[in-house]
Amino acid sequence: MVRVSATGSNPEYVNSRVRARRAKLFDDEDYRKLVRMGPSEIARFMEETEYESEVNALGSRHSGVDLIEYALTRNMAKHFDDLLRWSGGEMYDRIASYLRKFDAWNAKTTFRGLYSGASAEEIETDYIRAGEFDDRFLERLANAGTIEDAVELLDGTLFGESLPAAFEEYEETGVLVPLENAVDRAFYENLLGGVSGSDEPTKLYVEFLQAEIDFRNARNALRLARSGADMDPSEYYIEGGELFTPNELVRLVGNRDQLVTHIRDSKYGDELSNALDELETADSLIGFEHALDRALLEYSRGLSSRFPISICPVLGYVLAKEREVENIRAVARGKEAGLSEEEINEELVIV
Amino acid sequence: MKYGLFGRNYEVYANMIENSLDVALAAEQFSNIILQEGGLQGNAEPGITTDGATAIGIGLAAIGAGYAERGIGAAAVGALAEDSISTGIGIVMTVLPETLVIFALVALFV
Repeated sequence: MVRVSATGSNPEYVNSRVRARRAKLFDDEDYRKLVRMGPSEIARFMEETEYESEVNALGSRHSGVDLIEYALTRNMAKHFDDLLRWSGGEMYDRIASYLRKFDAWNAKTTFRGLYSGASAEEIETDYIRAGEFDDRFLERLANAGTIEDAVELLDGTLFGESLPAAFEEYEETGVLVPLENAVDRAFYENLLGGVSGSDEPTKLYVEFLQAEIDFRNARNALRLARSGADMDPSEYYIEGGELFTPNELVRLVGNRDQLVTHIRDSKYGDELSNALDELETADSLIGFEHALDRALLEYSRGLSSRFPISICPVLGYVLAKEREVENIRAVARGKEAGLSEEEINEELVIV
Repeated sequence: MKYGLFGRNYEVYANMIENSLDVALAAEQFSNIILQEGGLQGNAEPGITTDGATAIGIGLAAIGAGYAERGIGAAAVGALAEDSISTGIGIVMTVLPETLVIFALVALFV
């Protein structure tokens, strides 16, 4: 479908900008340098890269690892806002609905902050301002005072419908899990529900989202299988994936070998075979999760080359940028905690 | 009773014949356009001459090139905005499909 109107979809323009930005992300070489640096050196190194303006702007207020972290998230929000600024038409709609991810993040941050009794100011600095919520709304959320008020504020957003029920559950149990699950589920289900059309880019978009949901389900399933906690797995289940049905999930969580076999036989088997091998041999869940992240990144990169004039390169970029932020954060936090270079390297996911 | 028994009817017939002659004339003019000189006399030649067909071909090629440049131009401006290519490269890439129009011009000379 090609719309040539001024406000039509403009994948060519957006994609060429996104590709240029993707090329500027840190590569192996940069990470190798970063791993050898201390926190303040990392901040100084970032000052010479595209994080310059953020590091300078925040340098007077924060220092050390906090400075790095806030500069990272602020830079990420800036880039994602740019994506929205460039795009038009269908492209805009899809990017915007994907970036609601950060609305979900901010909602969860609010709950966690209020739960742990952090001050409004602390909560506000932890927001990632890349979603749909504007600054004023976020300020009101941070100042909500109690979780109940926050839930009330979120009424009318896409999380509004599922939150009241989750809040009741929270009041009974006193743990945040139901609220966080409700937020995540609302986000993913809204994402797939809003897609219409049957042309090739749309199909790829749906495929991509399904992959992300499947991977998330797989991760949750393995965490549950691992922890052996007596929780209802269907609580964590996100609709829309292809890998599991809720019943399968409930059945498989009890038996980890079956679960691994199930994933291996699915259409992600090839992409995830390394991850699964690692899980079987090393029995390390962290390794598996990183492998899962790597597989999703590679999958997204594959999709972006298979259909360059679609939304896939943009989503691939969003994932890669998020990963970069997490990587640098891991290096900085790891250095602060005094981890060795090998240990930090294990935490990195580089594609 | 100027026209006898068929009086009025004859007038109608005359009109009809005249009309049909008009139609035939128009048809002949039309087919002359299509078939150029040949017309009703036979000896048909194609109405669109070689030059005309060439012109249409070049026009189509230009439309195709324009459509291709729409996407390339958008992408080139995007890349320029990110400073990842030089202006020269951007312009060269953008007008690349224009070469197809030049190929289409070859049809003029064969």
